[in-house]
Amino acid sequence: MIEFVLDGRSTANTYLQLVQQVKQALRVGLLVPGDKLPRVREVALSLAINPNTVLKAYRELEIEGLVEGRPGVGTFVTATLAGASLAGQAELRAELVGWLGRAHAAGLDDDEVTALIDTTRRAERGTSGEGTRDGARARG
Amino acid sequence: MIWLTWRQHRRQALFTVLGLAALAVFVVPTGLSMRHDQRTLDPGRFADTYGSLALLSILLLVVPLLIGLFWGAPLIAREIEHGTHRMIWTQGITRRHWALAKVGLLGGAVVVFALVYGLGLAWWYQPLGQIDVRQTRFAEIFFDMQGVAPVGYTIFAVALGVVAGTMVPKVLPAMALTLTGFVGVRAAVALFARPHYMTPVAADQLVRGATGKPTGELDGAWVLAKEVRRADGTFVTNGTFRCPATGACAGDTEMGPGAYNHQLIQPGDRFWAFQWIELGIFVALAALLVWLAVRRVRRLA
Amino acid sequence: MEHVLEADGLGKRYAGRWALRDCTLRLPAGRVAALVGPNGAGKSTLLHLAVGLLRPDAGQVRVFGEHPYENTTTLAEIGFVAQDTPVYRDFTADELVRMGGKVNRRWDATLARTRLAQLGIPPRKPVGKLSGGQRAQVALALALAKRPRLLLLDEPVASLDPLARREFLAALMGNVAESGTTVLLSSHILADLERSCDYLLVLQGGRVRLSGDVDDIVAGHRQLVGPRHLTADGTVIRERHTDRQSTVLVRTDVPIFDPAWTVHELTLEELILGYLGEAEGATNHAEWGVPA
Repeated sequence: MIEFVLDGRSTANTYLQLVQQVKQALRVGLLVPGDKLPRVREVALSLAINPNTVLKAYRELEIEGLVEGRPGVGTFVTATLAGASLAGQAELRAELVGWLGRAHAAGLDDDEVTALIDTTRRAERGTSGEGTRDGARARG
Repeated sequence: MIWLTWRQHRRQALFTVLGLAALAVFVVPTGLSMRHDQRTLDPGRFADTYGSLALLSILLLVVPLLIGLFWGAPLIAREIEHGTHRMIWTQGITRRHWALAKVGLLGGAVVVFALVYGLGLAWWYQPLGQIDVRQTRFAEIFFDMQGVAPVGYTIFAVALGVVAGTMVPKVLPAMALTLTGFVGVRAAVALFARPHYMTPVAADQLVRGATGKPTGELDGAWVLAKEVRRADGTFVTNGTFRCPATGACAGDTEMGPGAYNHQLIQPGDRFWAFQWIELGIFVALAALLVWLAVRRVRRLA
Repeated sequence: MEHVLEADGLGKRYAGRWALRDCTLRLPAGRVAALVGPNGAGKSTLLHLAVGLLRPDAGQVRVFGEHPYENTTTLAEIGFVAQDTPVYRDFTADELVRMGGKVNRRWDATLARTRLAQLGIPPRKPVGKLSGGQRAQVALALALAKRPRLLLLDEPVASLDPLARREFLAALMGNVAESGTTVLLSSHILADLERSCDYLLVLQGGRVRLSGDVDDIVAGHRQLVGPRHLTADGTVIRERHTDRQSTVLVRTDVPIFDPAWTVHELTLEELILGYLGEAEGATNHAEWGVPA
């Protein structure tokens, strides 16, 4: 069993914070298949948050196939995220290091690099027309 | 609702009963001793002994007002001042039900109180009223503490307080409004309405040869007007004028022959009729005010 | 979707001034809705109309499909906690529970007593001698003992300290989880609302400025900062300009791709303030006798 905490300074949606905490617990192995998540009422009462928010988070996890709700019993973990790795990460990383070197050589500092990446990513999404859903989700 | 009303007002009820008991401690012994001395003492000595009590009794007149101030005015004003009307009016009963239960239960208590107080006061005052029948039967203030009139005043004062509480949402201003309204209405009725409850009787007596008291004043009647008129009915002066049957008289030239004293009176035997009319007026006013209060309650929020 | 509370062109006038005007809204069942707005925006008036304390001067309001004014059938389904959580201060908590049983047809005294026992509220002490937080909890317990399908709360936490506020909201949320009651809660303390409410109604000047699902609203608004005279996509809610730069609050369903804009996410609180702040700026320098 895990206990949820909320990051008061986070701008992230409460339900997304709950989702991310469950995923984090799955990644690090705090939660394994068969474990039970806290009851909706307990979460609502202890965090003084809307039970609908908790339900929404649990539903989201269910849609992603990570948990399963059993009516009258509770919500149980059915999958794990531990051990997931990104293929080709090393290659991308090497390319990025090279690019960052060129950016610094051109006189950009860290903040400017971040701003450039941010605006470019958005412009690229706009022209490619995809990512409408991602855009809406990116606020998380 | 009965339990709730009792629970809310039980302290007030206790204080009222205590107050009434304190009054009884004064009223019952003096009343009994007056009754005893009235039979044994001669009227002159009785008047000397107890005449001052008649003045003291004026204090008892404010009792209805106090009841109106401390029972009537806070009844709704306190709920609104504390916002509790929004709590109690949003439970499972209608406001009308609430108001009628309150007014009904309180009204019942007030009627009982008014009867005890009013009839007690009348009983106590009766020997004093016989000291000087002419002065004390109908005169303002004295009329007001005899018979059934005090019952009406008490009921009216409470109803007025309840309405005032629906007009101004705070207890103190509601009390002030009750005070002003009560004194105003009582004075207006006593001064302007009461003389006209029944058509006054005219009692005339010729100026020449008049002796003794004018006819109207004999049996404790209420004299509304005294004036001197000429034979043709024109007004000469206020007051009463008497001349011997023969010989010169001071006002002859002005009054002329056949002048008479004109009096408008309410005969003394109308006393009880007037009492019932007075009671009727104040009970009717109270009923109107209660209706107004219930109507107002349904519009408040 | 079932609507618990519906208002159409609803208006209420006090002494010639409209406290609430042209108010049209739908509150879906099962939501915890925040009713937000500055003082005098008409929040209490709307709640009083919904609970049947007031009769509308224009339009209509329906609760569970019925007109609530002087309607005991509807009243039995509504739990109401008025502003400043009024209760008879000389009554004890136990007497208040007893009172509720006498003036309600459906009354779960056990529920109220259990709640109050859990909260450690003394049963035989006049509630006037309890703390503000405890008194609010008593008022909430009384409202919940009606087992209402709709709970209307008028500024229930406004006068409470932060701890009591949190405890009150926790108790409320716990109850919502158990009973599925629809809640409409007015407040001007915005920080509490973001986590407890999933539906938003913003009132200003007696009218509805904004209403809808909190997540949709937050997702649909962006704060944009960019060079002046740039046109933003979507509905502009509020804009401020310096000689070179514009700051714009927009409502839009599509992402902002124009790289000239710097896009900022908004919290619910910032967003509401953006709406409410829009009406400001009416200067009254003349009235104060100072140069603008």
